[in-house]
Order: sequence, then C-alpha cells, then structure tokens
Amino acid sequence: MATNDPTPRSFGQRLQSLSRQTVYLILIIVVSASVLISKFMGLTLPNKPGAGSQDFFAAIMAIPEGSTVFIQSDVTNSTRGESAGQFEALLRILMRRNIKFAVFCASGEPQAPQVAIDVIARINAQRIANGERAYERWNDWVSLGLFPDGRATAKAMMANLRTAIDKKDTPPGKPPTDVWQSPVMEKLKVIDDIGLYILVTASKTSDILVERLKFAPVTYGDVPLRTKLGCMVTGVMGPETNNYYRSSQIFGVVIGLNGAVEIEHLMENGIKPGQSETYRSLSIEGFKGMQNYARGMAYYLALHTAMGLLIVLVIMGNVGMWLTRRQTGGGA
Amino acid sequence: MDYSFIKLTVGLIATIGLYSILYRENKFYRLTEHIFVGLAAGWSLVALWTVTLKDMWWSKMMGAEASETSGVVAGYWPYVFLLPIGLMGYFVFNRKHSWMSRIPIGIILGLVVGQEAGAWLKRDLPQIEAAMKPIVPNTEVGFFVPTDPVAGALYPSQMLGNIIFLTTMLTVLSYFLFSFDFKTKFMQKSTLTGRWLLMIGFGAIFGNTVMTRFTLLIDRMYFVWIEWLIQGVFKMG
Repeated sequence: MATNDPTPRSFGQRLQSLSRQTVYLILIIVVSASVLISKFMGLTLPNKPGAGSQDFFAAIMAIPEGSTVFIQSDVTNSTRGESAGQFEALLRILMRRNIKFAVFCASGEPQAPQVAIDVIARINAQRIANGERAYERWNDWVSLGLFPDGRATAKAMMANLRTAIDKKDTPPGKPPTDVWQSPVMEKLKVIDDIGLYILVTASKTSDILVERLKFAPVTYGDVPLRTKLGCMVTGVMGPETNNYYRSSQIFGVVIGLNGAVEIEHLMENGIKPGQSETYRSLSIEGFKGMQNYARGMAYYLALHTAMGLLIVLVIMGNVGMWLTRRQTGGGA
Repeated sequence: MDYSFIKLTVGLIATIGLYSILYRENKFYRLTEHIFVGLAAGWSLVALWTVTLKDMWWSKMMGAEASETSGVVAGYWPYVFLLPIGLMGYFVFNRKHSWMSRIPIGIILGLVVGQEAGAWLKRDLPQIEAAMKPIVPNTEVGFFVPTDPVAGALYPSQMLGNIIFLTTMLTVLSYFLFSFDFKTKFMQKSTLTGRWLLMIGFGAIFGNTVMTRFTLLIDRMYFVWIEWLIQGVFKMG
C-alpha cells in the first residue's frame, strides 16, 4: 500500500530544494523594494568611473560647441534597462553643450528609430519643465531613420557620406525635406567632418563599425583622439567591446547599467586632475546643480540587491549540498 | 483617463502577461506573446517602407516634381531592376524555381565576402599590435603613474599590469595548441594556467551577462511601480 509519509528532508536538502517560483518571487520582491526605496529616499550610491567611461565623457565634453555628432542607436525597449540610461545621459550632455546630432539605426531593427525619438522627446520635455531651451528637430537634431544593413551603410558612408544618407526629415511647419538642408547636416561633406560617431547598441554592430569606419586622428581641446568612434553597449557586449577600447580602436566605452551610472557620476563631479588614466592632467567641470543622476542611479540599488541575492542563493545551495554530502558520508 | 495612462496600462498588462511564464505555462502568456510577435512583424513592415524603402529606393526611382523645399529631381530608372532581384529571394518557397533564390543570396554573399578580408585587417591587426606591450620600466621616479607623467615613460605599476596581460595572453594561447603533446613540465603548467585564466575570464563575462539580465527585470519593476503606479495612477514625481 502506498504511503503518504515521505522521509523528512534534512536542512541541507531543504536549502537545495527551493522552488523556481519561490526564487522568482523573492527576486521580484527584493528588486521592487529596492526600486521604491531608491525613488523615495533619493539614494546616490558611490561609484568610481572606469577608464572607458572617463575617456568617453572626456571626448563628448571636449568636442566644440555646434559640432554634429552621429548617434547610431540600434537599441529598442528590450534593453531599456541599460541602454535607456546610457542614451538619456548622452543626450543630456549633448543638449547642455549645444551639440547637434543626427540619430539613426543601422542594424535592421525597425523599432529603434522610434524608440530613439521617444527618448529625445522625454528628455526635451524634462528640459522644458526645467526652464531650459527645447532642442528642436531639424535645427538641433535630425532623425535619419532606418538603414537595414549596417555593413553596407558603414561602407557607403566611408565612400561618400552625402550619397549614403539620402533621407528626409521634417522641418517645423514644412513638408519632409532633404536632411542635407538641415543646419545639423549642411556643413558635413565627408565622414571626418562628423564631430564624433557614437554607437548605442545591444548587439555586435560595434564589430561592423570598427571593421569599416576609419577616422583621421583629431584633438579636441586637451583630448587627443585616435578615432571618433565611441560605444555605449550592454553588459553582455561589454567584454568584447572593451578589447576595442584597449587597442584604441574606439575612443571610449560605456558598459551596461554600471556604465550609465559612471557617466551620471561624471556629469555630477566632472574629472579632476590625476583622475583620468589616459589624460592624467585633464580637468573637466561637471554639471553641478543640474539633474545628473537619473535612470542609471534609479536602478543601481536594485542591481546591488539582486546581485547580493544571487550570491546568497548560490551560497545557500552549495552549503546545502555540502551538508547533505557530509550527512550521507560523501554520496550525493 | 488620458492616452498616456492607457498606454502605460497596456504596458503593465503586457508585462504581467509575459512574466506570468515565471509561474508556469499559461494562455495569458501565450496570448501576450502572440500579440507582441504580431505587432513587431507589422511594425517592421511599415517601418521598412516608411523610413527605408520609400526614401532610399522608391523616391529615387520615381524622381520628384519641384516643391517649396527642393527643385525637380530626375528619377533613376535602373533602380527598377532591384525589385525583381529582391523578389527572386521568395522563390526559396517554390521547389521548381528555388534556384532563382540563389541569385540574390549569391549577390549578398559576394558583397559580404568581398568586405571580410579588409574587415579582418581593420578589426584584428590593431589588437595584435596593442598586445605587444613593454615590460621593462624606463623610469625610476615613483612606482605609480603621477598626475603629470613623463611622455613615453613606463612606470613600475604599468609594468606589473603589462606582465599580467602578457602572461595571460601567452598561457591562453599555449592552451589552444591542441596538436602538440607537451612533455615538458613548463608547457604543461602553461596550458593549465591558460585554462584557469580562461575560466576566470568566462566567469567575468558570465557576471556581465547576469547583470544585463537583472537589469531587464529591474527596468520592468521600475516601469510597474514608478512609471505606472506612482507617476501614472498617483500622478506623483
């Protein structure tokens, strides 16, 4: 006869047998609580920016006012957690420095151009609410839309920038017009006329650009650059993009949520002499008194608590296994 | 109820629907998933026309009459040949005429292959060059790099970093020499060290990946509690 009296489980076995649903529930509670605490207490966690973020920040703070930056935004809302914080911080800096920009997607991700436009609208709304000048489409920035093939686009830009970008955008109160008539684009003739080329991505499009784009070295103020290509990537893409940074194939790299927080930290505190590994005597003032800590810092506490929970759970599982093995004399 | 709140609420329902898979397989999850896939496919089709093909192919082919923002633009009729070449790709679904699909595939392959040699040179050669690091310090002024370093000087702290880098690179490279059966203890230790260092590297990469995945969850929880509840429902902050 079957019995409903299973052998009582030991403490070690219980530690190893937490159900998947329980783990997810604990994780969601911990992350939710962290997000709410961070919001209501306005927590600012300490952070020490890495060399990649410092160099990235130094370059975008050094380009002359009025330059045009190309932003290849290949991200959608699927990686909003990391990419939105990075992209918002980048836009805030460019807008505060009156730098024009052209935004587009060249990864064949059809949602990406609209996602970028939505983020720009959000930052613009915050600027207007703070009494700052609204960044105007066509005069301050343009959307170049979608380029379905990144390889061909990069190659075409190198060959002839003007024919590679045959797009229209909409000036205020006018029908769609050739983007080359826009104040953002009219001064550009070849790819070296671009101030910086910044890639915001969650995929391997950094490879494509490193392989195909070539910029002449340039010096902006105290910041000499061997290339004008810089990257903002997700944590997954961080390790391999970091190789390009270490070999000076990109001027800087911002990696994941931590990278977003690093840029926000640099916006708040700037770079003090001796702080930058690359430009030792460089000094850059931040934007003290403005809204610098935003989405990155809002998520930062939750990242720490989630990682802490993961470590605790891994330790629990291993302690449980060790206790069980000891109890059973070395067997599983 | 304003439009932005309706939009947020739809986002909330979709988030709950997709996260319900964490509990178990269910119809709400499947419904949300199918809606998402359908929306993404529909959006892609429209976006492909409105922000790509219309400007880059159709308008160029058709030309334009004079308008208040531009003069007459002559059409470039050879672009018409791109359409049948592209459509040939769809013959992959037809057993009798599937050979036609190889024409556009061949063109794309040829374009990519032609670029790859140059791409490899630009991608990997600078990394090989950057891997050649000096390991003999040429200055005796201090251990760490000062605020105002001497140009071209290698400080002892940099030397240590370079030695760690080179040791890692050489031992990892030796691990991949699979065709040789190493008899010497030195090479055996080198390949073993390389394996350990690879494992440490993979651990660091995995850690980055875990952080990304956690951030996706954090973003959704931020959306639910802050953007929907606090800012949407309670109109605060």
